[in-house]
Amino acid sequence: MDGTQVLPTTQTVSTQALPGLRARRGLWRALRGELQGSEYTWALAFLVPYIAVFLVFVIYPVVYGFWMGSEPSLYANLFSDPIYLKTVVNTLLYLAIGVNVKMFLALLLSGFFMRPGWWTKALLMIFVLPWAVPAMPIFISIHWMLNGDYGFLNNALWTFFHVNGPSWLDTRWFALGSDIVSYIWKWMPFWTVIFIAGRMAIPQEIYDAAKVDGATGIRAFVHINFPLLANLYFVCTLLSTIFTVGDFTTVYFISGGGPAMSTHVLATLGVLQYAFDMAQPRLGVAAVMTALPLVIPLVILLMRKLKTAQVQL
Amino acid sequence: MGVVSRRSVLRGSLGLVAAGTLARPHIANAAAKTATVWWTQGFVPEEDAAFRKVVADYQKASGNRIDYSIIPFAPLRQKLISALTSGVVPDVSDIPAIQINAQEAWSGKFLDVSDVVETQKSKYLPTALLGCQFYNGVAKKRSFYGVPYKGAVIPFHYWGDLVEKAGYKLSDVPKTWDAFLDFFRPMQTKLRAQGMRHVYSYGWEISTVGDDPTNTFHAWLIAYGGQGLVTKDGKLHANDPQVREAAIKALTRLATDFKEGYVPPGAVNWNDADDNNAFHAKQVVIDFDGTISTEVALYHNKKEYDAIVTHGLPLSNDGKALPSQFFTGTATIPSGAKNVAVAKEFLAYLIQPKVNNEFLKGGLGRWLPAMPELTKTDPWWLDPSDPHRVAYVRQGLYSPTIPYFYAYNPAYAQVMTEHTWNVAWSDIVTGGMTPQQATDKALKRLEAIFAQYPIQQA
Repeated sequence: MDGTQVLPTTQTVSTQALPGLRARRGLWRALRGELQGSEYTWALAFLVPYIAVFLVFVIYPVVYGFWMGSEPSLYANLFSDPIYLKTVVNTLLYLAIGVNVKMFLALLLSGFFMRPGWWTKALLMIFVLPWAVPAMPIFISIHWMLNGDYGFLNNALWTFFHVNGPSWLDTRWFALGSDIVSYIWKWMPFWTVIFIAGRMAIPQEIYDAAKVDGATGIRAFVHINFPLLANLYFVCTLLSTIFTVGDFTTVYFISGGGPAMSTHVLATLGVLQYAFDMAQPRLGVAAVMTALPLVIPLVILLMRKLKTAQVQL
Repeated sequence: MGVVSRRSVLRGSLGLVAAGTLARPHIANAAAKTATVWWTQGFVPEEDAAFRKVVADYQKASGNRIDYSIIPFAPLRQKLISALTSGVVPDVSDIPAIQINAQEAWSGKFLDVSDVVETQKSKYLPTALLGCQFYNGVAKKRSFYGVPYKGAVIPFHYWGDLVEKAGYKLSDVPKTWDAFLDFFRPMQTKLRAQGMRHVYSYGWEISTVGDDPTNTFHAWLIAYGGQGLVTKDGKLHANDPQVREAAIKALTRLATDFKEGYVPPGAVNWNDADDNNAFHAKQVVIDFDGTISTEVALYHNKKEYDAIVTHGLPLSNDGKALPSQFFTGTATIPSGAKNVAVAKEFLAYLIQPKVNNEFLKGGLGRWLPAMPELTKTDPWWLDPSDPHRVAYVRQGLYSPTIPYFYAYNPAYAQVMTEHTWNVAWSDIVTGGMTPQQATDKALKRLEAIFAQYPIQQA
């Protein structure tokens, strides 16, 4: 009886506000999921700190950065600065040469370190040292080694060959070259290990079958390793390029952007020169932001590659 | 013990928040008597000890608390710029790079501290006062945005023992600019012939790092008659033929010294401390470097300390006294400082003649007083038993001085941080430009920078 008495009221509500009520209930259900009673409150209590941390430490810095570099006049200043234009060229060279030489050598070396024998494993352990030790002390050591007057390199050249070595850090191209070589030396071991892992995932049967067909050595590399590692190689190159666009440490400690600000890359020009030497942090952020037209397409490309459904190494 | 329920957790949390909120006024009250101070680390421990003593004495006298950090100049520069950008600032900050005061005063980032300066105004060297009156581009006025508490000029420093080893007499050092510089040039060859393979005549700072390279160019510019590059009214005189000629001569001279191998090749990358290091390593015979930090760093090594000669500016080539650029060292109160009253009181204490004198003496006299009377009332400053300090004091406080150009117009602070003149030098040495082309390019850049700083003079 009670049910029949309540029914008309319910019907009245349903006829007047049914679509809105359904939508709210649908949303509420979607938010709560399968959680019952106080479970929902507890879930929220656990979630809120993470959301807060994400907002404060991820969203806020990014938005703040965009806000700092949002004035169009900053970009007019940048493009009128001859040092900036030189820096763009340096950054492109640093990326093109540094990343590609590093990745290609890492690919080749990964093959070498796949050779059987205890000594290759021992050598690998020594080889990964540059990557394993902190960047700052080793880059400072390299900087001192390259000192034209008192550096280890030129002293060794003088001692053994009686040759006065060049001033490695005192001309633009030698200094930029020193930056790039140091960068390759530091990061090549990491990518070599990645490629070793990639090679280890290639089934031995493929090599055995190829061997029957006479494909060994370089032919095996061209017909087995390279095609099977191509996707991994491409993804790693994209990742490495994205990392390297923001690389500050190498150039800062090796050449310091000198001589005469001729070896800056965008990260050092923005942070070191504009933000702190010139006390114009907004200009510094704007300089770094000009890398976005390069970084964003790379990230999109990377995401697309990562969505590849086919089984590829 | 009761069961911990959801409600009890929430209730407890709310209670904590409420307690925190209610407790805050007590913390704020406590903070009202405390000022946060960021100070530049000295080159020698005595400088830091002198600052600590000032703080301790002030705390004892006032009952207030100074929460201080002593930070090396390069990190302090970054910290201060970050603070001024974010708005989370200390109550007092020392100025760690010479042009920052002018640059940030232009943007309205420092408070007007005229009332503090006023307490000792009559005692200051007029150049010191000129050197810390900056133009505020927001308030559209010129005022004191830093409290002057020290000064500096740039002397030459040379190794007397190396001069003699090269076969010259110290009494033969010429009196006029070019002759003075030329005197040291052949010493490199003579010293190398005696086995000093890595020695160079000159330790000129010619890089694009720090303040020293621009200071070096300025001294050469002024020596050749280019003092009028920026005038007191804040105007740039890029088209003045005398200024252009002086800039060409200065760049030519510095570029020639380098190209002919009389300056260490690594000098193109030197930071502000590297010329000191090269000098201490006896890699160079003569250096041009601000303050007597070069000498003070060897204060406890009597033999080396005495082997150095501190030399004020020579006369111009036509025999006239050359003005030194006088750096006025300031401490500032950033806009947004919470405890302005304590900050001002502390700075007023710091510039009291007796306190200031003891503070600067404690730092071994690396910094000059900005008040000449201190050197008259305390014989320590002109004590002939320390020839370095005497030469330095005479150059800074008893010889002609002018302020840095950025005091006249903040645009010049940007010129200094962009290292426009040092890039011009590099254009000659590595870019294949003639000194005339490099000078014209630099002057054009100066015009573009000055156009961004429209100032209204009273």
